[in-house]
Amino acid sequence: MPDKPQDPAALPSSRWSRRTFLKGVGVAAVSAETMLAESTKAVEPSPPGADALNTPIEGPVKVTLNVNDQARAVTVEPRTTLLSALRDRLDPPITGAKLVCNEATCGGCTVLLDGKPVFGCSVLACDAVGKKVTTVEGLGTPDKMNAVQKAFVEKDAMMCGFCTPGFVTTISALLAKNPNPTEEQVREACRGNFCRCGTYPHVFAAAQAAAQANRK
Amino acid sequence: MAKKTVKVPKIVDGVPVGEVEIQVDDNGGPSWGANDKHRLLNKPMIRVDGAAKATGTAIYTQDVRPKGMLFGRFLASPRAHAKVTKLDLEPAKKLAGVKAVLAVVNVGGEVRFEGEPVVAVAATTPEVAEDATRAIVVEFQDLPHVVKGAEALQPNAPQVVARPPRIQKQGDAEQTAKALESCDAVIEAQYTSPMLHHCCLETHSITADFNGKDTATVYASTQGTFTIPGDSARELGLPQNKVTSIVQNMGGGFGSKFGIGIAGQWACRLAKEVGAPVKMALTRREEFLAAGNGPGSIQKFKAGASKDGKLVAVMATQYALPGIGNSNLAGQPYQYKAEHTYREAQAVHTNEDASVAMRAPGHPQASFAMESLMDELAYKIGMDPVEFRKKNVQDAAWHRQLDRGAKEIGWENRNKTPGEGKGNLRRGMGCGIGAWGGGGNAQCQVDVTIGKDGSVIAAVGSQDLGTGTRTYIRAIVAEELGLEMNDVVEHIGSSKLGNANASGGSTTAASLSPAVKDAAYNARVEMAKRVAPLLGAQADGVVFDQGRVMGNGKSLPWKQACAALPEAGLTAHGKWQPNLSSSGVHGASFAEVEVDIETGHVRVVKMCHVQDCGLPLNRTALHSQINGGMIQSMGMALYEGRVMDSDLGVMVNPGLGDYKIPGTLEIPEMIPIIDDGDDRQAVIGMAEGANVPGVGAVCNAVYNACGVRVRDLPITPDKILSGIIAMQKRMT
Repeated sequence: MPDKPQDPAALPSSRWSRRTFLKGVGVAAVSAETMLAESTKAVEPSPPGADALNTPIEGPVKVTLNVNDQARAVTVEPRTTLLSALRDRLDPPITGAKLVCNEATCGGCTVLLDGKPVFGCSVLACDAVGKKVTTVEGLGTPDKMNAVQKAFVEKDAMMCGFCTPGFVTTISALLAKNPNPTEEQVREACRGNFCRCGTYPHVFAAAQAAAQANRK
Repeated sequence: MAKKTVKVPKIVDGVPVGEVEIQVDDNGGPSWGANDKHRLLNKPMIRVDGAAKATGTAIYTQDVRPKGMLFGRFLASPRAHAKVTKLDLEPAKKLAGVKAVLAVVNVGGEVRFEGEPVVAVAATTPEVAEDATRAIVVEFQDLPHVVKGAEALQPNAPQVVARPPRIQKQGDAEQTAKALESCDAVIEAQYTSPMLHHCCLETHSITADFNGKDTATVYASTQGTFTIPGDSARELGLPQNKVTSIVQNMGGGFGSKFGIGIAGQWACRLAKEVGAPVKMALTRREEFLAAGNGPGSIQKFKAGASKDGKLVAVMATQYALPGIGNSNLAGQPYQYKAEHTYREAQAVHTNEDASVAMRAPGHPQASFAMESLMDELAYKIGMDPVEFRKKNVQDAAWHRQLDRGAKEIGWENRNKTPGEGKGNLRRGMGCGIGAWGGGGNAQCQVDVTIGKDGSVIAAVGSQDLGTGTRTYIRAIVAEELGLEMNDVVEHIGSSKLGNANASGGSTTAASLSPAVKDAAYNARVEMAKRVAPLLGAQADGVVFDQGRVMGNGKSLPWKQACAALPEAGLTAHGKWQPNLSSSGVHGASFAEVEVDIETGHVRVVKMCHVQDCGLPLNRTALHSQINGGMIQSMGMALYEGRVMDSDLGVMVNPGLGDYKIPGTLEIPEMIPIIDDGDDRQAVIGMAEGANVPGVGAVCNAVYNACGVRVRDLPITPDKILSGIIAMQKRMT
């Protein structure tokens, strides 16, 4: 099982510390001995503070994430991304944010961290502890969509829909900050989001329609 | 088939008030009727799965995580062409959490391109799966490689595939050469385009939910629900009827997702090895390197026209560059007619992953070259490029579309002399035309079930690539039964439902919609028989409209009428009817660009595409698709292309950060136009018609703007600047 938060000791470990992981980046083949030499232990989440910053963590870590206003216990590794924690380790998973590139180039995994849009693939799950994580599911439900989600449906701002959660999340954050954006500001806010089906013109129209609906 | 007009009670707020005239079928079979007489079809529609997609509740293949699922991962070849000399899987197998490590290529075997899978692993977390690929010890002995088409054409280039080149020849070379001598204007030019990538946002992914028992469910990101069970069953060692494929939502295909592919093959093999579900989702890098691509092209021309604007002779040599695979470019002179033509075509192979279908396979490449050539000839004889095109295509659709597009873009404001104007920012316009088949086939089997409670289900295993399949299924059934969209539910995306064709060649709408219509029609006829006695009417005099069933001057609300059905309700079957679909669509694209002659940067200011498609099913979704086509063509013209390192044999830009696709900052003002001058009362697929002519339109607009003809895609700033410098040298 990928995650059994109540029993971290039973979890398999990759025996990689963040330090070793960083060291290993870009190396095509690493001998197993190097990795097996690394000790492994599950650690409880450290309270934020200077001590926590100075304590190296490795192996499975049990943390609690605040996702869409729910406290969700999950066991992650220090190197586990927030995106992977949501999709691959939470049980049941939260899959609105999509894995597209895993290298901060596409925006498909955009989530809000304390209201600010971030790429879920480029934030470590451990670093999201103590912060408010909001995914597209937290912005509205099919029965109670937020203005951006409603406008996306009305303007047909989607085709395959795989980029849609990222765009919806980015634009929702934009409108919270700037309720009356120009199209240029919408384009600027979404420049980290790619769509391949070609829905951009309808996305821009949806952002404007949502802003208008919010003003009413 | 013909329609007849009948009078039925007009219902206002559920109460009959006078009569209205509506159209019904004149005889025993379904027909669409006039394109402008539909109640739901050919109107803007709200996508029925829009709310699910906008709220993240739509479940895609990659979102599925069956209990106990393992994460698959490949160790991919870092070499373009090499023999595996050492492979030690043991270090990976020893890692805690690693459940299976399978060699894809064994010692002594060869890898033929960078990214080719060498080993497949399955582990309990994605991180451990990645660790396992790093722990494997693999050594290679390099073999000669070639990764660029121009280098592969050299006499001493390494041979990439064993089969000898197959050269197609069409036309009369001698006559064409002779005709060229008497032309008023001749252009000799070579046009090239790089290998392209589909860039589906959901990478090729399959989750094989198999526990070592006698059935399996395979979740696939695919363009063909029914392309999955057969191969999966073979890999799992099960009979095909024990494997179900599920495709509820898929994140883009563009031609690259048919069959189980390497992701599915190894998901199944790993699942079988472990006896547990395995997800294999390619990484973005693997998606670029090993999930298929669109072939590059080298096309050489010698072509001539007469002063009065007739394309006289076209001699073309076309090389498709499909890596280790195979591919053809659309023939030349593409959509144009010339008196004398000769064409030679062949594939030239490189140590790159095999090309697969990519949105109008072989057409954007052929169109880019031919539209550029047409433009060059038009300027050489001093004729308006639109007029020159009209003189060389007969079909009235193109004439109509070129006129419409010219009006929308403001064609009369284009530069009469390319590059004229002052300042650094120079604007220009260009155009191009395209065509596609988009016809239907008889593979779809649809069931429409009307429940005794009035609920309606349309069921077929087809997939929705984002084109709006779910939406038009609902609309067709609702319209036929006189109901609203929300009164119908569609069940799709499962191989347990009726068969459907794979979505390739823009054939889904033309194949599926007639079968849906037929099923709904048969359900209506059957329902009429049941309800007629209640109304005291003849079955063929029963009319379905406004949520009511009417006849003999009487009217029943839908639900009350359905109460007359037996307990099990009624199910009617539908299959493809040839009169409900057709084939052959036309399109014309126009672009206005602004070129900064100091930096070489090109900005597309405005794009317009006019597209016919017979009966438009859903005007909103059509606008979305036409926009999508224009954006892809713009990407090919200006941004996209695989870049290879000749020495190392590797791809330099295998990521969305380096392989540039159009983003929000590049999108111009876009004008998608459905050509309502097409009065065919039949459905035709159009998606692949919409992404073809825009490539040439953008290239031609660049020339019109700055006077630089770039014949090598993509048109990056360096090529513009080189052209400007060359022009300045010629002037001084």
